[in-house]
Amino acid sequence: MNGAGAMMNEEALGWVIRTRDPEFADWEAFTAWLEADPARAPVYDALMAADAELAEIVPAEPVTIATPANDAGSRGWRPARWLAGGAVAAALVGAVSVGLLNRPDIYTVTTRPGETRSIALDDGTHVELNGGTTMRFDRHDARFAALDSGEAAFTVRHDAANPFRVTVGDAMLEDAGTVFNIVHTGGATRIGVSEGKVIYNPKAEAIPLPAGRGLSDDESGLRVMDIATDAVASWREGRLTYANAPVTQISADIARSLGVRLSATPGASAMRFTGTIRLDRDTVRFFGQAAPLMGLSAVRQGDGWLLKEGDGPPR
Amino acid sequence: MATGLSAIFLHNRPALMRFLRARGAGDESEDLLQDMWMKLEEKDLGPIADPLPYLYRMANNLMLDRYRSAIRRERREQDWAEGAGGVMADPSEDIAIDERLILSERLEEARAALRSLGPRVELVFRRFRIEGVGQRLIAEELGVSLTTVEKDLQKAYRAMIALKQKMDTE
Repeated sequence: MNGAGAMMNEEALGWVIRTRDPEFADWEAFTAWLEADPARAPVYDALMAADAELAEIVPAEPVTIATPANDAGSRGWRPARWLAGGAVAAALVGAVSVGLLNRPDIYTVTTRPGETRSIALDDGTHVELNGGTTMRFDRHDARFAALDSGEAAFTVRHDAANPFRVTVGDAMLEDAGTVFNIVHTGGATRIGVSEGKVIYNPKAEAIPLPAGRGLSDDESGLRVMDIATDAVASWREGRLTYANAPVTQISADIARSLGVRLSATPGASAMRFTGTIRLDRDTVRFFGQAAPLMGLSAVRQGDGWLLKEGDGPPR
Repeated sequence: MATGLSAIFLHNRPALMRFLRARGAGDESEDLLQDMWMKLEEKDLGPIADPLPYLYRMANNLMLDRYRSAIRRERREQDWAEGAGGVMADPSEDIAIDERLILSERLEEARAALRSLGPRVELVFRRFRIEGVGQRLIAEELGVSLTTVEKDLQKAYRAMIALKQKMDTE
């Protein structure tokens, strides 16, 4: 394209952007620009058509604006940084985007793997997001949250008249004065309650989950089990506590909490573990301690780690 | 009965006519204005905050529709001439696997292209183009100047339109 053509294209693009703005009002200036050269209208039309087609390749999804994550240094675990002020502060500081086109009051908060974030909702409820998590909140309804993927711990200010509700996949949880943790990855959901009570799917199964009870819902169905209350959301204190948990689940938790790429050999994946793993951002030190604890060994693989059967004491 | 928007339409008819001519409507400008008038008369739109910009936008959208249907007609005729127009594809049919693969590759490519522009440019572009938020509001949200938002948008648009054009010629 020659210089004049490129210049016009650039100007036309400026008008595409301006006229696309919902607040645009200077149509007289736009008219004047078009009148100056009859070749401008077709260029504008073509660019507007190109703009319309962009929706095909840029679907709506949350955006992360980088905020300094906890250093992956050698100093062990640091608790989540608290962001005060709820919706507005989150919109200014965090990884926020509008999740639904027609609902400007719904916004999304996303953490990268290894990054944690706390959201204080206006009603006094706290939500702590573990790494690799996507959630939606409502600017105008502090009693709503949706966990789209990842893990989050909820400390809910109870209000019987206006219960706090969390949507997880197709399921819904309603609090009854509560501290609870949810993990939602792929099609599976794990819930643990450490204080108070939640109701799982109050309009369908209506399963009450008091403190010390947990629920898992995956391809093998819905199961309710006993759990240690201090194991619930223990990632916040830098611990992961398990009772007969599959290694696949544990490695997903580690990857999310530490922000590492982690895979497991089929043999290691088939194993289960009972016990507590201390999180440590020094991954060499972490795997050096955690892998033998699970009866596994960990080796570096590319930019991540591989868990395999081996060297540790059998259990 | 000319009230509200209709009255504003009548009052600004010459300016709208001038706009449509400048937009390339030529002899059809009169007809397009007549279409607009009919639409305004049959719909009770209620009070509108900025009636004149609303009318201009309506006229601009008419022109965009006209352009789009002209392009579609052109493509159909071209397909026909190339012998591909014999059987109409069922629009409800699922997208073929390889097409879906191409689509997901393109989404990935677009995501990477947008990301490479930096987080602020990406956020500004998504807020503006995908979520329909105005530039002034975006500038306020991010605590940057309006000029910065404008520049970010120009940058993102240039990159994304160039990418789309490249994909279309592949």
